Amino acid sequence: MTVKIWNFFPRQALYECYQCARCTGSCPALEVAPALGPRETILKCLNLGHDQVVEDERLWVCCTCNVCEDRCPQKIPISDLLVALRNSAARRGNIPDKLGIAIELLAKTGRSMIVHQLDEMRAHHGLEPLLPVPIDEIREIFKKTRLDEVIEF
Amino acid sequence: MERREEISELKHALEDSRKDKDSKDVRIGVYVCHCGKNIGGTVDCEDVARFAGELPNVILAKDSLYTCSEPGQEQIKTDIREQKLNRVVVASCTPRLHEPTFRAACESAGLNPYLLEMANIREHCSWVHLHDREAATSKAKDLVSMAVARAARLQPQFELTVPVKRTAMVIGGGVAGIQASLDMADAGYKVYLVERSGSIGGRMAQIDKTFPTMDCSICILAPKMSEVGRHPNIEMLTLSEVKEVNGHIGNFKVKVLKKARYVTDGCTACGDCIQACPQLAPDEFNAGLSIRHAIFIPFAQAVPSRYLVDMDLCLNNQGIVACDRCFQACARRCINFAEEDQILDLEVGTIVVATGVDVYDPTALTELGYGRFPNVITTLEFERLINAGGPSSGELIRPSDRKRPKTVAFLQCIGSRSKRSNPYCSNVCCMNTIKDALLIKEHWPETEIFVFYIDIRAFGKGFEDLFQRARREGVTFIRGIPGEIIEDINKGNLTLLGENTLLGSSYRYNMDMVILSVGIRPRSDASVIQRLLNLSTDTDGFYMEAHPKLRPVDTTTGGVFLAGAAEGPKDIKDSVTQASAASSRANILMSRGEVKIPAVTARINPEKCTACGLCARVCPYHAIEGSKEQGYFEVIEAMCQGCGACVPECKFGALDQAHFTDAQIVGQITAALQTEPERKIICFACNWCSYAGADFAGVSRIQYPENVRIIRTMCSARVSPEWIEMAFMKGVGAVLVSGCHPSDCHYNNANQNTSKRVEKFWKRMEKLGLNKDRLRLAWVSASEGAQFAKVVKEMEQGIQKLTPHQIEETKQKLAKRPTKKGEPV
Repeated sequence: MTVKIWNFFPRQALYECYQCARCTGSCPALEVAPALGPRETILKCLNLGHDQVVEDERLWVCCTCNVCEDRCPQKIPISDLLVALRNSAARRGNIPDKLGIAIELLAKTGRSMIVHQLDEMRAHHGLEPLLPVPIDEIREIFKKTRLDEVIEF
Repeated sequence: MERREEISELKHALEDSRKDKDSKDVRIGVYVCHCGKNIGGTVDCEDVARFAGELPNVILAKDSLYTCSEPGQEQIKTDIREQKLNRVVVASCTPRLHEPTFRAACESAGLNPYLLEMANIREHCSWVHLHDREAATSKAKDLVSMAVARAARLQPQFELTVPVKRTAMVIGGGVAGIQASLDMADAGYKVYLVERSGSIGGRMAQIDKTFPTMDCSICILAPKMSEVGRHPNIEMLTLSEVKEVNGHIGNFKVKVLKKARYVTDGCTACGDCIQACPQLAPDEFNAGLSIRHAIFIPFAQAVPSRYLVDMDLCLNNQGIVACDRCFQACARRCINFAEEDQILDLEVGTIVVATGVDVYDPTALTELGYGRFPNVITTLEFERLINAGGPSSGELIRPSDRKRPKTVAFLQCIGSRSKRSNPYCSNVCCMNTIKDALLIKEHWPETEIFVFYIDIRAFGKGFEDLFQRARREGVTFIRGIPGEIIEDINKGNLTLLGENTLLGSSYRYNMDMVILSVGIRPRSDASVIQRLLNLSTDTDGFYMEAHPKLRPVDTTTGGVFLAGAAEGPKDIKDSVTQASAASSRANILMSRGEVKIPAVTARINPEKCTACGLCARVCPYHAIEGSKEQGYFEVIEAMCQGCGACVPECKFGALDQAHFTDAQIVGQITAALQTEPERKIICFACNWCSYAGADFAGVSRIQYPENVRIIRTMCSARVSPEWIEMAFMKGVGAVLVSGCHPSDCHYNNANQNTSKRVEKFWKRMEKLGLNKDRLRLAWVSASEGAQFAKVVKEMEQGIQKLTPHQIEETKQKLAKRPTKKGEPV
């Protein structure tokens, strides 16, 4: 099933960007990792087409903190664009391996990381073990958000 | 009720007989203009001309490439003479552009200019239906047949000449106001220069140097200021504000509030008083970077060169003299606490508005830290810092520790080109920054200067040269505005985080001082003058010119002209140029000494008038007088401004408006609804805002549904409920009444009558169980082309849902009450 990314982001808004770079200048993800800055993302979508962008793994560094959007003088919904692009990327199977592992873990255990060591630690401090996660509910969320269509597990 | 029916029958009979008589005499010539490809590219003009040739009373119909050209006009003149034409219809651009041209052509051929009618097939047709040749052509035919119907009913009119007082008022004493005052005063006319603050000079007095020539700003301004001060023809009113404006072109009556200065003419500006004054406040002229006393002089070169007392700060502000230290200190005894505010009544013929601009306050952009970090300042603050007469005597120091910064950053486009602040480019900031950077380099060449920009707009004469010079002298230009500024609390230094977009890499710069190149915006209280003078504003809030290209300093209010940045961001040179242009326009009026006013006044037929006085009650100009004893009311023509608000008020058909008669408009409605009325929208648009707004949609090529037919009235208050009723009786899909926004009305809020009448009609529709969405009231200003298109689109959607049954039902239900005016249904 194909979903156009422009259903999630108003394509017209791309043309509002005049590349002032306040967004990338504000990006905290860029401080720690080689992310694809919002400015570059928009420019690439405009000049090269979004097909090129969804293949770029750096797209996944963004943590949708929304600071870029807050400071954008043209009120471009940048986070929406990044989410739409990543949806598109996921549908094409362009998900970084590490993220794939995390999602798989989430589907199987209800947690995005392995926690049995954590339980030992908690026991050492006299804390109760972690409560079991309602896997069925998580699966239901996966279904409703149609994540199960994108990821095999 | 019986009497009413009788009257309406009488009126119809009278009109019919006149029509018959007219139709024998009326000889109309129709000229369809291609306007090159502007109309011809979309509308089949030859077909329209063929169609027009077959309309009643049309003797000839021609199409030409450019009707406004010399040969085009000659053709009209020849035809008037040879074919004995007595009405002319030109189907071309908006009458707001070329009506004067064609009127003059008619007049020179001996035809009364009011026998010309224009069909707007460019702004209202070809430009807004660019992609549908068939629909545009058929609409153009409708517009032409509407114009022909109106033309057949036109009558010759004769314009009244009113004298123009050879006195002018200039509002605002900045460089634009100064130049305008001098130009008019030098031409020999008396000028009142009204300035709100204590001295003339304005923004230019605050600036250190000007670009691109690096002249000392105050050095070139001060001589002009003193010239104003001593000019025998100029009366300078400082600390003064315009409170009320009445009257019209050539004869304005103005009330000016002149606030008390508390210091008399005897003041020699010796300054002995300030030492005595115990009260302190931030000095506005120095952008708050220094302090002043309650008694002060705005700046050293101030004109008038007199001190003044800030009564909000002075200890004597309750009318009780609690402190008289300044009085004691003044050897010449020039301080008078008993002085009072006064209201001055001025009579002027022309007005020049030069109210200037505010600067953008960047506090809202929290990521830049202005207001929190002392070393982040604005360009206006920098101007005062670098100025020899400023708080640091021209020493470049930074506010936190008063040390000289070694690294300075300029941030461009702060508050400009943004949907979060001002959407427009502020025009002056790029060059101002380059000039400021060069100033620093000139005095302290070792200072490192970085300019963070998006685009450098060096478009003017000598601008690019200055830009290159700045680069040669080592100013670094980095493309990419910082996203964030971080302050080192201990040192006060600033770290700029951002991206160099040309390198595609992130940067971190440590700076000693950051200067925000703030944009300019309309005065926060610009609406005060706007309402007093019935001006329009554009979407950005600047005062709007009558035509962006051809009447750039006129306003839509006759006798009122614009100068300086109040009309839009501009630099000193452009402000001065515009001020000279505005004063020259005013001088034309004053030197001629008289002006013709359009013959569109209301007229009362005393035989039909019952002296009920309803018309006089709605007249916004008190131009209708009369009494029961007299037996009728009459219009004082020189006072009538021609809004027509009174006409629909008359229940006896005694009132009509010249050149916008009921019969003319009814003719237009009838012609518009000849075919397929159910899919059409009749739009009544006022001349000043909504018609101009629809023109603006055309100029901007905003596309909207073609089924709207616009009928122009001077004011929306002229729109008679009977016209609306008639349109519905003829089976129209929908009716749109549109005018200026409330309180922006060009006729002293006459359009409050519009809302009242439309609301009344809605109530009637509601009572009859009719869908009142088919009648819409929309306020569209001259700059809201997009808004006009939006309204039409929405109405078009409503029409698509209409059923023939609904239209028929409306006809039947409304028919229960007979129409009074216009043609029989």
